[in-house]
Formats: sequence, structure tokens, C-alpha cells
Amino acid sequence: MVVNINILVEDLERQELEAPLGVASPQVYAQLLAIYLYYKDLCNAKFLWKRIPAIVKTANPELEQIWMVGKHLWTSDFPSTYRALEAVQWSDAIAEIMKNVQLVVRTRAVDLISQAYSSITIENVANMTGLPHDLCVQACLEKGWRVDKESKIVYPVKPTPEPLAPPSSEDQLYKLTDFVSFLEN
Amino acid sequence: MASALEQFVNSVRNLSTHGNLRELYDVVIKSSDVLLKNVQHLDNVLETLDVQQHSLGVLAVLIAKFSVPNASLSDNRFLQTQEFISTCNVEQVRSAPDLFAELCHLFTNYLVETKSPIRGIALLKQAIMRLKYLSENQLTSIHADLCQLCLLSKCFKPALQILDVDIVSICQEIPHANANSSQFDAKYFLLYYYYGGQIYLALKNLDRALYFFEVALSTPAHAVSHIMLEAYKKFILVSLLLHGKVQQIPKYSSKVVLRFIKPLSQPYNDLTNAFVNNNVTEMNNVISKHTEAFTRDRNLGLVKQVSSVLYKKNIQRLTKTFLTLSLTDVASRVGLPGPEDAEKHILDMIDNGQIYATINQKDGMVVFSDEPDKYSGPGVLKALEEELALCMEFDNRILAMDEEIQVNPQYVKKSAGLQEEEQPSKSTYAL
Repeated sequence: MVVNINILVEDLERQELEAPLGVASPQVYAQLLAIYLYYKDLCNAKFLWKRIPAIVKTANPELEQIWMVGKHLWTSDFPSTYRALEAVQWSDAIAEIMKNVQLVVRTRAVDLISQAYSSITIENVANMTGLPHDLCVQACLEKGWRVDKESKIVYPVKPTPEPLAPPSSEDQLYKLTDFVSFLEN
Repeated sequence: MASALEQFVNSVRNLSTHGNLRELYDVVIKSSDVLLKNVQHLDNVLETLDVQQHSLGVLAVLIAKFSVPNASLSDNRFLQTQEFISTCNVEQVRSAPDLFAELCHLFTNYLVETKSPIRGIALLKQAIMRLKYLSENQLTSIHADLCQLCLLSKCFKPALQILDVDIVSICQEIPHANANSSQFDAKYFLLYYYYGGQIYLALKNLDRALYFFEVALSTPAHAVSHIMLEAYKKFILVSLLLHGKVQQIPKYSSKVVLRFIKPLSQPYNDLTNAFVNNNVTEMNNVISKHTEAFTRDRNLGLVKQVSSVLYKKNIQRLTKTFLTLSLTDVASRVGLPGPEDAEKHILDMIDNGQIYATINQKDGMVVFSDEPDKYSGPGVLKALEEELALCMEFDNRILAMDEEIQVNPQYVKKSAGLQEEEQPSKSTYAL
């Protein structure tokens, strides 16, 4: 999926630049905009939205719906983001991408919760993940977070950072030799 | 009339086949008048020339076509330029960098006037890459054109590949109109760094943006250019955003610049003062007082970003004093309306890695913690190695430049005449 998207992005960007008269097809714009959102590349998404010609925008209201998602992401307004994502039946060209946008947004939200909170209300977790209450409680328990059902508070567990694989010693030796020979000369 | 054109075509063909580029260059320059007078026949001329074999001739004809104010004939200039850039003979064109740059400027202006800047981005980028300016890390005035097109069309990503390269030399573009004048128009140099800074700024690469504005500021100068003044204003704002204070302007920048630029950007100085005093109300006063100036400079958006950063800076300062604080206290100490706003700011900052803290919603408290990184993992080592590699490359470059100067005849003559008894030291830069 990720490899495909990378190729697709390059292809779409090229199509936009090489479009005759400088206006690409609405589908190119829509896909590109959705992919930028998938990568949380909000700056590029914003400027893409700004440079899409007004005529194309009015003819294709879906573009604006995609951008609404981006706008909510920009202000990190999670509930509105999910609402904007779910309110629309996306066209075939971007449905797959938009589904993935929702997934990455949710993953990011979960990461953020575990990073930033030692305790948080279920209400807030539901807001930030866009999941209904009961599903939310279940997901929290699955992640190993303690849920206090009476006070409706979740206690997230901080993730332990995965240690990076140490570089091979041969590589390291090579670099050190390089470095010493530089200093000696 | 037609005979003069014929003569042009013939000499271009002859000289091209013989590969006599210097003479060809002279012919091409001398015939610009002839070409301009015969605009209506230029398409015929183009048909007799081959883009690949007679690149310089075609180049001259294209320049003439773009120089005429209004081509009432069917406008095929875009397609012709496109064909030229993608198929021209690289060697021939590189022998006349000034003409090629001129074509690119005219082409850029044409696209700006026809309001379709996005169409030129791929072409100019291709031009810079095909002529190997990119692989040689060389700056040309075309770079500035490319950045301008990107800014106008709000399409920044394509420019990054060009901007991310560190420039080490400047293409010698001797203007043919006046061979004695400066070799590379400083305007394009400044514009490249100003535009480039703006592009990085738009994409929120603040580090690099600050560097670009700094280069524009510290360019040697006898007078303050408007570009420098605008770069200075943005330099102040970006450095507030990035470092929370104004970076020193490098000592090697020109004295004139230092003397004149400050009084000319008073609103920005006021803003800085309010910012470094961490005073939210004072800063809001400054902003409302100078709104007009900021809007005129088109910096209001940036100024607003600066003002929202002040809240974050104040929260960051709290982490130095307190270990635990209630959200209500945070809000009142930094001047935010309520605990919800404080929580949102803190959440944002944790997300961006600006502070290390944990929010406890049950009690409405924040616990500030120290940076968890112990600076002992392989990641740190990797970063260190990368830095070392950069420094080593830098040293090599300086040695190479030093060597170049040592063998420069002019330098040898001067240093031998001046200090005959004192042998010039080998190299002061070598470690």
C-alpha cells in the first residue's frame, strides 16, 4: 500500500505540472489532496487546495469535502475530523485512501493519548478516536489500559520506545577509520 | 531584409557544423537586431534550424520572439520553448549561459503575464537539471525564476529538490549587452534566497527558511536593497518562531545593512521587545497598533503565528519552575481564557515534542517531566556521525578553495610582491 502510494504521488504531481493549460483533471486533484492528508502533509494539502482553480472547485464539491477534513486536522479537532470523514460517501477514486486517512488519524490519536495522559475520561477517548463508548472501552482494555467504569476514567500506559537496531560493527569500524584518518591528515 | 535573415541562418549552420562555439556566440549576439526586425519571419527561420544541432541559433530566435511586446501571430512560444529545453544541445547552451538565462527570464515573465505560472515549473526544473547546474551545486539566475513560479502557483514541492542543495558556486552569466558590468546580477541572488526562504517558510521548514533569509541579509552590499529589508523582517519573525528570540545578524554582513535596516523595520522591533519580555498584553497592543504595517508587508499571518507561539513559550518556561501544576493555574499564568485552552495547547506541544509532560484529567493536573532521551542510544551516535561527515566535507571544500586561490596567478603576483621576505603560510585552514 505504502509503496504504491509513493509511486502514485509522484505520478499525480507530475500530471498536475504537465497538465495542458495548467489545469489538471478533478480526479488528480482529489487523489493528491487525499494522499497529502494520509501523510499528514497539511502544508502541501493547504497549498494544493489554494491553487485548485475556482471553476474546478465549484464543479466538484467533493474536493471541498476532502479539504474540510484537512482543515479539521490542521486545528487538531478530532471529533470534527471524524464527522467530516464519515459524513460523505467518497467516490471510488479516493474511497480507499480516505479509509486509510481515518485509520492513520485514529492511530495517531491513540499514540497521542498514551503519550500525553496518565488519566483521561472515556468521553475524551471516544472523542479523539471517533469510536462509540462501548467499543472504546473494549479497545482500551485490549491495549492493556486500565478502565475504571465507575468514574469513567481510563488510565493509559506509556509506550516504551523500541530500541533501534545497533549498526553493524564493520560499518562502525569503517566510519571510525575514516574519521581518524581525517583528523590525522 | 530576408537576405539578412538568410545570412544569419547560413552562418549559424556553418559555425554549428564546425563546432566553433565562440564565433557562433558572437554572430548570434550581433544578429539580435536583425531578428527583432523580422519577427514575422521567425517561424520560418526556426523551421530551417535543428534544435539539437543549432541550439544557439534557435535560442537567439526564441529570445527575439519573446522580446517582441505583442506577438499577434498564433502563440506557439510555449511549445517551442518546451521543445527547446527538453531537446537542446547541452554543450552549446552551456557556452552561452547568459542567453539561456535571458530566455528563461523572458519565459518566466511570459508565464506570469499569462497567469499560468504552474506550466513552467517542470520545464525550468528540467532546464536546471539538464544543464547539470544541479549536480554541480551551481546557482544560476534561473533558480530565482523557478522559485518565483512556484510561489505564484502555490506549488512548492517541486522546488525543494533544487533548494535542498547547498550552493557552492555561481554561474558566470556575463550580460551580452554590457560585457563590463557585473557578472551575476545580485538581484537574482537575493531573490533566490528570499523566495527560497518563503517557500521553506510556507512548508514550515523554519530552520532552512531562517538560513535562507540570513544569506540574503549577509550578502555584501554598498546599499540596502528592498529585498534585503523584506528578508530582514521575515528573519525577525522566523527567528522568534523558531528560537523565541532574535538571532544575531552575522558579523560579516555589510555595515550599511546593519545601520539602515533596523530603523526601517520599527514595528518588528517593537514586536520583538514585547515578545522577549514574555508579555502577552503588550504584544497584542503592538500588533493592533501596527496591524496596518504588518498587512502592508503581508506578514500579518506570520505575526499571528508569533503571537500564538508566545503562549507556548510561556508554558515551556513553566516547566522549568514547576513539577506539577493544575490546568487552571497554567491558564491563568500564561494568560489563556480557561483550563480547556491550556490543555489543548499542552496537548499540541506534547504532540510536537516541544515539552515532556503528562496530563491527568482525573485531577486536572499536569506533570512536567525531563527529557527522557539519555543521549546514549545508537540514534545519537548516528546523528553525530552525520554531523562529522558534514564537517569533513566542509573542511575538504575549504582546502580545495584555498588551493585554488594559492595557484591563482593574480594572488601569487600580489603576495610575492608584497611580502618577499615573509613566505605566505602554507594553509591556515588545515587541521
